Amino acid sequence: MKSAEGEQAAEGRVILRLDGITKLYPGSIALYDARMDVREGEVHGIIGKNGAGKSTLVNVVSGITPPTGGIIEIGGDRYSSLTRQRAKRKGIAIVTQEPEVVPDFTVAENLFFPDYLRRPGGRIMWGDINREAGRMMEQAGLRVNVLAKMSDLPLSEQQLVLVAKAFYLEKAKIIILDEVTASLSSKDAAFLYEIIAAQKRGGKAILFISHHMGEILEICDRVTVLRDGQTVATEERKTLDRHRLSLFIVGGEDLAGGSEGGAAVSRVKTGDPVLTVKGLTRAGAFYDLSFDLRGGEILGIAGLRGSGRTELLKAIAGVDRVDEGRIFVKGEERAFRSPAEAFAGGVVYLPENRDREGLIENQSVRENLSLSSLKHLTRGAFINKREELKAVEGLIDMLSIVTPSPEQEVRNLSGGNRQKVVVGKIFAARPLVYLLDEPTRGIDIGAKKSILAIIKERLASRAGVIMTAPGLEDLVSVCDRILVLCGGRVVNEFYRGAFGERELYLAIHGMDRARAV
Amino acid sequence: MRLQLVVLDNLIWLILILFFLVNVFFTPNFLSYGNIVNIFYHSTILSMLVLAQGLVLLTGNIDLSIESTLAFAPAIAMLLSTKWLPGGLNPYLAILVTLTVGGLVGLFNGVSVTKLGINSFIHTLSILIILRGLTLFFVPFAIYKLSGTYTFLGRARAFADIPVAVIFTLFVFFTLHIVLKNTPFGRYVLATGGNPRASYISGIDTDKMVIVIFLFAGALAAVAGMLAAGRQDAVNNTMGKDMVLLSFAGAILGGTTLSGGRGTALGMLGGALLLGMISNSLTLIGINVFLLYATYGILIFFAVLLDRFKVKLRELLFHRENMRTLRELETAPRGK
Repeated sequence: MKSAEGEQAAEGRVILRLDGITKLYPGSIALYDARMDVREGEVHGIIGKNGAGKSTLVNVVSGITPPTGGIIEIGGDRYSSLTRQRAKRKGIAIVTQEPEVVPDFTVAENLFFPDYLRRPGGRIMWGDINREAGRMMEQAGLRVNVLAKMSDLPLSEQQLVLVAKAFYLEKAKIIILDEVTASLSSKDAAFLYEIIAAQKRGGKAILFISHHMGEILEICDRVTVLRDGQTVATEERKTLDRHRLSLFIVGGEDLAGGSEGGAAVSRVKTGDPVLTVKGLTRAGAFYDLSFDLRGGEILGIAGLRGSGRTELLKAIAGVDRVDEGRIFVKGEERAFRSPAEAFAGGVVYLPENRDREGLIENQSVRENLSLSSLKHLTRGAFINKREELKAVEGLIDMLSIVTPSPEQEVRNLSGGNRQKVVVGKIFAARPLVYLLDEPTRGIDIGAKKSILAIIKERLASRAGVIMTAPGLEDLVSVCDRILVLCGGRVVNEFYRGAFGERELYLAIHGMDRARAV
Repeated sequence: MRLQLVVLDNLIWLILILFFLVNVFFTPNFLSYGNIVNIFYHSTILSMLVLAQGLVLLTGNIDLSIESTLAFAPAIAMLLSTKWLPGGLNPYLAILVTLTVGGLVGLFNGVSVTKLGINSFIHTLSILIILRGLTLFFVPFAIYKLSGTYTFLGRARAFADIPVAVIFTLFVFFTLHIVLKNTPFGRYVLATGGNPRASYISGIDTDKMVIVIFLFAGALAAVAGMLAAGRQDAVNNTMGKDMVLLSFAGAILGGTTLSGGRGTALGMLGGALLLGMISNSLTLIGINVFLLYATYGILIFFAVLLDRFKVKLRELLFHRENMRTLRELETAPRGK
């Protein structure tokens, strides 16, 4: 039939073909005339900016979303649209970006849901389910207790369980991984690559969506690039490098330049700190953290997921509680019991999950942007509509938010622009301290550079900034100082000019907990 | 398309106008000054409840207790006036007591829902039953012959024979409409309903918003009770019964969503007026009172259907717009 030679893309036959796929949503065109073909035994990467249509495309393939037009051809059969059930029957499995699980069900139940193993009468065979689940986890090499509740597992492991489900249980021929590594720790990501390599040899086709060029170039055989809802190219990996790939993605300037870490000299900060933290502790999250933040300074908090960096920001912002320790804003001791108090005290928080915690989806861009600063826009008891519009238009301009009008509903914007709306909202609140929790998470390169520039030039020009980031590059490119957390404690501090990638990397992994002792 | 969107968002008024015209031609005795005024007058009580429910819905909650507060608050005031206090109660104080009792019930609801985290449906359901039970217990069928001051709001007529109640109701609605649209408080309320978590993180005191709205809803229910007491010149223990479901119908017909965060006060007024108009016209036609009751059930069904219909229509409009854009893309040369 076909043979797989080394790292060359297998000349397997085509098992999936997309022809002229178009998808329209109210207010936007998600896909237009997208074309793609996928072969057996290949890892086919799909890359593009936020809003390029990657998720929409795979949702069409997996049956989650029916297309407005076009044909899906699987193993010779042509369909104008699929349902999830039909796609499953044709052997298509999908693992979505955020793990789709039932938190209160056990791992075993989540694995088999909704296709429970049943007796002829209809009764569920729990014993068999638990046993099979255990066997599956072993086969995949995962040390997971299948009787634990899904919600007891950290996000990373939940995602791995779902990946195992797609590969081992559903006996799929085409497995779609939608930005799965976004929820994985670096160790778990490496583990995933191993599973992918093994499955590939078994003849499965894997659709791997990501917006990380490095990852795509590392594991894919062929890459399809999406831009503005269209497939602009499908290339063999061996013909691609970062430069060429980014040209396809952005269609213009070369953004693969990346960050020249730590080049510029740190701006000298004088004066009293705007924020001081002493001995801050929250059991189970972070311990005895102390540091200062000066106005105009950008302080990065680096660390793995679970190192306490997000918890720290949330605690200072009043979203979560603090067990011990003191916080001083401009010399005055404060104890914020809610974000409302924090805002009033000049400390604003940019949430990690912008959709759930940052935006009012059914409201307009204008309403979202002005929400935290309405008090400044009033005349007497009423909102001054003209002032509001002026402020909002100013923000849209300054942050280059792409939207047909300020009245457009925020849910119709692309991911990068939604993040900009949340950033704009807190910027308008004119605080003393910005707490930015992964401000560039899940955003494509173009928007990311834009946001980092905004942080460096705008936010820091007025206030002190603390930010965390999923990757080191972002911190290295804008921060004046980086604190490294590990296991909830500060293990190291780096100053600009002395940002060594290796040192930082090691520091982050300082107290390395070996996987599954 | 912009015009079509505007019409869609204000659909209730279109329906009102259409229904009005239908009645003008087909219902006997409909188009007379007295009857029109009557429609407004008879809508006032329910419209206070519609407004109360609508406001609570905006925050993403439900208040089932308002129909019992409607009876309970005036009942307490009148019991104090007639039986419990030896010297009776100054009628102005009676009004104050009514509003305070309503507000306190609302406050209790708001605090339970926010600070204790009790689901609003369950909590207000229990209050609904408790207050009705208490009212039935304390009020022996009815207390009548109320003071003129107390019944003023519900009974009196102003210029051109227009009831004070109508003027008052319109005033309340217009004020609320402006507050919701043009003040930070109004926007915070809508944001809280639209996404409570995001609102909280954005620095809004979401608990306070919900408590204030529940308090106000309780007070509005008390006002509704006063209007009813005024109209019948009595406080009876079954006042308001079965009205809470209609309060939903009115709010939803007026464009308030069940999921929270969307709706206008004037829309709620439209919904209440439509309910009043339907009741009026069916009575004029001479329909059996029990069938009229069943009609209300149909209305609630219709209200929810309308909500879904609007969503679909909105999508259709956007879809057509997209198709138009697509066609332009196909004919124009490909850019970037």
